[in-house]
Amino acid sequence: MKTVLVVDDALFMRHSIKLALEKNGFKVVGEATNGLEAAEKYAELFPDLVTMDITMPDYDGIEGVKLIKQINANAKIIMISAMGYESFVMDAIMAGAAGFLVKPFKEEKIVEVLKAI
Amino acid sequence: MADVKEELSQEEDTQKGKFLTFLVGREEYGIEIKYVTEIIGGIQAITEVPEVPPYVKGIINLRGKIIPVLDVNLRFKKEAREYDDRTCIIVIDIYDLCVGLIVDHVAEVVAMADEEIAPPPDARSGFHSSYIKGIGKVGTAVKLILDCQCLLNHDDFSSLHQIA
Amino acid sequence: MESLLDIFVLENSQLIEQLEQTILCTEKSIGIDGAVDEIFRIMHTLKGSASMMMYDNIASLAHSMEDLFSHIRANGPDNLDNSRICDLVLSSIDFLKNEIGKLENEQAADGDSFPYIQLIEEYLNHLQAGESELDAPESIYAPAPPALDGGVFSTPLPEQLPRYRALVFFSPGCEMENMRAFGIVHRIKDLVIIEDYIPSDIAANSSSSELIKQNGFDLVFSCSLPAEEIRNLFIKDPFVDSLELSVLEEEYPETAMTSEEEPHIPPVEERDCSVECKEAGAGSGLHLVNNRGNHISVNLQKLDLLMDLVGELVISQAMISLNPDMSLAAQLDGFQKAARQHSKIINELQDIVMSIRMVPLDMTFQKMHRIVRDMNKKLGKNVVLEISGQDTEVDKNIIDHLSDPLMHLIRNAIDHGIESPEERARLGKPAEARVRLEAKNESGDVYILVSDDGAGLDREKILARARERGLLSTKDRDLSDADIYSCILRPGFSTCDQVSEFSGRGVGMDVVASNIEGVGGAVVVSSTPGQGTTVSLKIPLTLAIINGMQVRVGQSIYIIPITSIRESLKIRKENILHDPEGRELIMLRGQCYPVIRLYQHFRIKSDQKDLTQGIIIIAENDSRSVCLFVDALLGEQQIVVKALPRYLGKIKGIGGCTLLGTGQASLILDVAGLFEQPA
Repeated sequence: MKTVLVVDDALFMRHSIKLALEKNGFKVVGEATNGLEAAEKYAELFPDLVTMDITMPDYDGIEGVKLIKQINANAKIIMISAMGYESFVMDAIMAGAAGFLVKPFKEEKIVEVLKAI
Repeated sequence: MADVKEELSQEEDTQKGKFLTFLVGREEYGIEIKYVTEIIGGIQAITEVPEVPPYVKGIINLRGKIIPVLDVNLRFKKEAREYDDRTCIIVIDIYDLCVGLIVDHVAEVVAMADEEIAPPPDARSGFHSSYIKGIGKVGTAVKLILDCQCLLNHDDFSSLHQIA
Repeated sequence: MESLLDIFVLENSQLIEQLEQTILCTEKSIGIDGAVDEIFRIMHTLKGSASMMMYDNIASLAHSMEDLFSHIRANGPDNLDNSRICDLVLSSIDFLKNEIGKLENEQAADGDSFPYIQLIEEYLNHLQAGESELDAPESIYAPAPPALDGGVFSTPLPEQLPRYRALVFFSPGCEMENMRAFGIVHRIKDLVIIEDYIPSDIAANSSSSELIKQNGFDLVFSCSLPAEEIRNLFIKDPFVDSLELSVLEEEYPETAMTSEEEPHIPPVEERDCSVECKEAGAGSGLHLVNNRGNHISVNLQKLDLLMDLVGELVISQAMISLNPDMSLAAQLDGFQKAARQHSKIINELQDIVMSIRMVPLDMTFQKMHRIVRDMNKKLGKNVVLEISGQDTEVDKNIIDHLSDPLMHLIRNAIDHGIESPEERARLGKPAEARVRLEAKNESGDVYILVSDDGAGLDREKILARARERGLLSTKDRDLSDADIYSCILRPGFSTCDQVSEFSGRGVGMDVVASNIEGVGGAVVVSSTPGQGTTVSLKIPLTLAIINGMQVRVGQSIYIIPITSIRESLKIRKENILHDPEGRELIMLRGQCYPVIRLYQHFRIKSDQKDLTQGIIIIAENDSRSVCLFVDALLGEQQIVVKALPRYLGKIKGIGGCTLLGTGQASLILDVAGLFEQPA
């Protein structure tokens, strides 16, 4: 079973993603609410996959990606972005994010994306 | 969710048209079974409460929950009767209000179709019917269907509180 | 597990509440610019969550708000109409609160957010029009430098590599097609040599996504990989709907080659990030994260349940240790020790559970800023709200009952207490009026004071009205100010149509009083003419568990809260006096107390009618004392307070009920209620 770290400052989003993933055979092993916490949790849990929100307080998702990539250059990170955040998505991709999803998304989509990477 | 709803509606169906009947004085009364949560045989210790109408006998401990008990005899302004070993408390739950009714004894559960229940005679005939919402007939027996809500209303006594 | 809806409601109502506070704070001090980032972020979060739940009205309002604030963020907060923007945000907040409230009550969030959106867009347009033409009006999210855009990769090609053309279509509705294309470019850039792609401005121009939607993303590159692997590279993105991969014939015959030059893009970003990482690792951010990790949010229902269970545990412990069957065991040393330890642990458990339920008053207090702001605007007054003691903690169940009364008191203070600016000027009072909201702990209770520096209460007018309404008996010559002022707490003292005519207070004060009494508290009003009024609310720390003295009266057992008992004693005949009206008094150490014989008061049978034979308990409440006459004391015990069944209504002198160790229900006396005249 693939393990996932879910990073989002909104409890609601974390919960939605967790529900969707756990219904579909993923195991959410940790949650984090900003980029730094994400990296810390990543180092601790070494999950197979990470879903990462972009706008978060203090350390945003881009920084999160960069930090995690420092820990493991092969980390598989999926960005969760709102509409209209092209430049952030671009930064994330350049920092090494494996893909991205645009909110709002359907349950199948996130599962599909995570299964693909 | 859907299952629960179905179950509930099924339960409602099986309860529909069923009445718990009990005796108070010489009259036999019925209440819709859906309001009844349990029947306690015998009278346990009732804690008296001040400043309430005489028919409110007090409060009892129902497995950790404290509920008030009413003496139906007194509620109907009849004379008080001694409690004996047939005396029962019928616990009803109506609109989240949980109350025990002290009755002389519980008779049976009967089914009565809507057609078998006649509306109460109107007040002009001199019948005091504020607690009765229908008259049911099972064979030759007549059962007075109680309006639980009216039974629990006590405007007379809440106004008493207002003055106080 | 809680439902998504629960979480949505919980999280977003907190965020919105927080937002409201921020706005109210910044509006007064530094202006809206202090809050831009926060508003933006909250709206962004709300938009995301609401759109997932398909609450389109909420999502679209949050979206337009997000747009507005990202514009402000990008263009600086100069020339903002602070008050207008605060109004915009606050009215939107009200709308959102209302909608979330509907969801909480399991209704549909069906409000129309369009009028709000229109207002916001109007203002945004106004801001954009106002900006100098030099500024690009669009593009809120400043595009990053087009580092990867077409042309950059025009590195010479190694001649031997086959060339490909890929035409990619993304699945409909995947959004940000340009970024998907960018992702592909980024993914393959180290593996293939990219010649060109169309549209070429995917990174810089978000509208290129429209072109990709229609025409697909067209990419020409060369590489040595087999076609199957290339295909795999592309379809790694699950949003790739279709891929047309074709081998190109030699179209560009001349490509001068210098073989040493590897087509390699230096990973600039990675270097940047290593620097940032070090900062991040060493930064104080670590602290923050750890703090957050130590808190979890718990469903209140679970806490209530836990509280109930602990309550049952307390009762069952009493049932065991006070059980008559135990009287033998009680003589055994080992049992005694174990029982003591047991009850000690239960006490600790109880304390912990209670402390979990304690919540600071802060949030409740902060809400009042909004009231003051709105009242100021409406009435043209200049009132400042001062808050202190907001760290004081109160049981969660009680706090929920404080909001409305406090709101009411503050409205009253501003509306009726504080004079008009002209009047204040005439009186030489400071133009800035003050309303203070203060909380403090005192002897097991919490006091909340609402005071103003307004006109104060008009003693004579209140007296006149109270007489007119029949609230006072005729012999009111020896009424204290407190007695008179407390009239305004009585129902029927004032009704709505007298608001304007009556200069004092009293509008709905009875509601305040009954709310506070409902949680076992008390309200006291004091006032100094010309200097202001103070309403103090006395609130119990908790409703749930108290120390109580069990007393016997006839066959009944009552509980008297230990906090109300000053002492209990037996008296002698010479202590008993009678006043001219024949009422009993007890004289103790030079002080005279009225007597309440509980069996008389509650009209129950008792054989013990001799004051010198039974027990006298001196009970007090708010500096008033009374002697309660009971048959016997049965001992002190912790009890779990339960509300009287709703059916019984409120009974004067009874504060609630509880279960005794024997399983029997028992009534808890409310000493404050006993002081009032019996019905």
